[in-house]
Amino acid sequence: MATDAGLIAIGAGVAVGLCGIASAMAEKDIGSAAVGAMAEDEKLFGKGLILTVIPETIVIFGLVMAILLWTKM
Amino acid sequence: MLLPEQMTRVLVVGSKDSLQQTIETLYGLESVHLVDFSAEEPGFSLGAPLSVASEASQKLLKLRAMERDLDIQQINGKEIEIVSVDKILSEVDNTISTLEAQVFGIVETKASAQARMHEIDSRKKQLKPFLSMPLSLELYSGYKSLTVLSGYVRMDPTKLVQESLSQYEISTGEDGKFIVLFVPKEETAEAQKVLVQCGFTEVPSPTGTGTPQEVLKKLDEEYDLETKASEEAVKKIEELREKHEGFILASDEQLSIDVEKAETPLRLGATAHAFAADAWVPSEEVPRIEKALAEKLGDKVYLDVIEVAERKEHHEPKVESGLGHEEPRAIVPTKQNNGKTVKRFEFLTDMVSTPRYNEIDPTAVLAITFPIFFGLMVGDMGYGIPFIILGALGLRRCISNEWRVIATMLFYGGIWATIFGFFLFGEAYGLHFALQAHELSWSSLLGLDIPNKLFGVIPVGIYDKLSDAKMLLFIAIWIGIVHIGIGLGLGFYNKVVRHGFKHAFMEKFSWLMILAGGAFLFPVLLDMLIAPWLLTDSLSTLLMVIALVLMLPGILLAIKAEGPTSILELPGIMSNVISYTRLAAIGMSKAGLALAFNTIGFVTLLGLDPETSLFAHFDVVMFIIALVILIVGHLTVFILGVLSAGMHSIRLHYVELFQKFYEGGGVKFNPLKVVRKRTSER
Repeated sequence: MATDAGLIAIGAGVAVGLCGIASAMAEKDIGSAAVGAMAEDEKLFGKGLILTVIPETIVIFGLVMAILLWTKM
Repeated sequence: MLLPEQMTRVLVVGSKDSLQQTIETLYGLESVHLVDFSAEEPGFSLGAPLSVASEASQKLLKLRAMERDLDIQQINGKEIEIVSVDKILSEVDNTISTLEAQVFGIVETKASAQARMHEIDSRKKQLKPFLSMPLSLELYSGYKSLTVLSGYVRMDPTKLVQESLSQYEISTGEDGKFIVLFVPKEETAEAQKVLVQCGFTEVPSPTGTGTPQEVLKKLDEEYDLETKASEEAVKKIEELREKHEGFILASDEQLSIDVEKAETPLRLGATAHAFAADAWVPSEEVPRIEKALAEKLGDKVYLDVIEVAERKEHHEPKVESGLGHEEPRAIVPTKQNNGKTVKRFEFLTDMVSTPRYNEIDPTAVLAITFPIFFGLMVGDMGYGIPFIILGALGLRRCISNEWRVIATMLFYGGIWATIFGFFLFGEAYGLHFALQAHELSWSSLLGLDIPNKLFGVIPVGIYDKLSDAKMLLFIAIWIGIVHIGIGLGLGFYNKVVRHGFKHAFMEKFSWLMILAGGAFLFPVLLDMLIAPWLLTDSLSTLLMVIALVLMLPGILLAIKAEGPTSILELPGIMSNVISYTRLAAIGMSKAGLALAFNTIGFVTLLGLDPETSLFAHFDVVMFIIALVILIVGHLTVFILGVLSAGMHSIRLHYVELFQKFYEGGGVKFNPLKVVRKRTSER
């Protein structure tokens, strides 16, 4: 039904959007701290990068949920 | 082998008169990692630098000063002039002394000319307001009974001055903002008071003779002369730079090498007549080093093998050393044992940390799976081939480590992207090769009929990134389980090497069992929660039983080894596995973007009917707009591909894989050796 499809689409959008905001909030704090640490010691680039992208998983979960929802449309 | 090369600690002892030759020999071997001698060894002191050190450093200091004066810089990528060492040794003194005098003179001229130009500039600035005054400069000073007040005002003071001063003479500039006021000395205070009310800012009166215009003209003439002098000096400096740059940089390199060699004794132990060098060398090199020392120095130098470094970890910090007393356990340097291709990925491992001597160097695993993951996420032949070309160019041209690693990623990742793009997904630039129902494809675009299978066997596109989403996510999860399994397996091996089998079994095998149990549980969960699978009831019960049989003992072992907190890590390993779904998700998001641009370009703007391959309306303007949109769009996907596929691929290794086994924190094997770029010994 058309309404069902619409609700699924909204659900998928909310999943990706909110997860994106959540990752962004987490990454901004870690990222700024990582850049600060790198300014002191450039060797910390690798560690800083890893720590910065850890919350990226949140948005991937959101994306996966959205894809699973979308396949139901 | 995946482990770093085995190392042996040696002590090289000899008499002081053979010190210089020993240092030369050790540098020539290029496989001796010197350990800084501790100054606290009883009976030993640190060695003194060789006598050539001070002379060479003095010359080096002069050369560096000259490099600064002549503005010589080491620029990468510029053609390098190779100078022979003999030429440097015979000519360097002469060149330094002649050049020094020349350069000093020219630099002095340039500096004085520039100082004078600066002076003239400020004098001109000072003179500027007085240009509008009809007075000669000598009239502004030299009075016994008069005070001259000159400066800027915010409002016209003439009226106020007239009211409060008995005697005065005032001149106002053309714009009315600049005034010169002559008053008798006794009325100075009163005059200043009045002027302050008008917002007065004093400008000191100029000195000199003649009208301001004449003075300005003279200054301008002088300025031109100085400019010419300074330009000439700059030109001479350029000439000297051009002529001597190569030789100066080459001498710099040679002298730096000399100084480094001559200062090596500072890292050695010394007694009154002998020296001792403490060093790590690769075990297989020991015979070669012994032979070289014997050939060059005979019996003047003696090499003693102290220990072959163990990989097993000990908890007691102090051990007996070869020097007969206690000292902290030395850190064994790591010499990574990789071939040419894998070596290109070493930088990625080093970005986390250098591996330790007693753990597996993860570079080999990274070199295999990193490009595969990259290729899977890109999964498009149209992007893969440009990646290969860019990567190959980068590997040929780039010098800096950062760019080389990006080129490596593009080259090997591009190969996999092309393979997956052709066989697995069968697409280029987001378009399938084979004919699709209701959708654009290369077949419909070119009016060809590309088959789904080449020669009926070789597949061209098994899955569609967008419509087979569930299947791709399923595959990605399995890749994750296998990859993490590899990580735990390597961790198991590391623990065996370091702490023995029992320890490894408790700590890592437990997690391997939990992971395997999870792998059996996974299809059952899918069957129950998401998709009706092909599992019969009895099969899913069987899978459940196997999963529980594997997981429960695994959890118990883990709790025994690491304490009850290890239960908290269980969701961790699950989220690690789910994290691999990004392999599919990122590919899909790229495919979606490319599809959107293709649809805008071909269908919306050009009116291409995917069913009939006919353009409904075709005109030149629309064609150009569509072309621009397609180029910009695909370039965006291309760049996003490098960024996100690269980042996520390396992240999966750093966060998910490395955490299962890698500790890092080793010291890189850094042998004594000479790196020559601008000089040659022949």
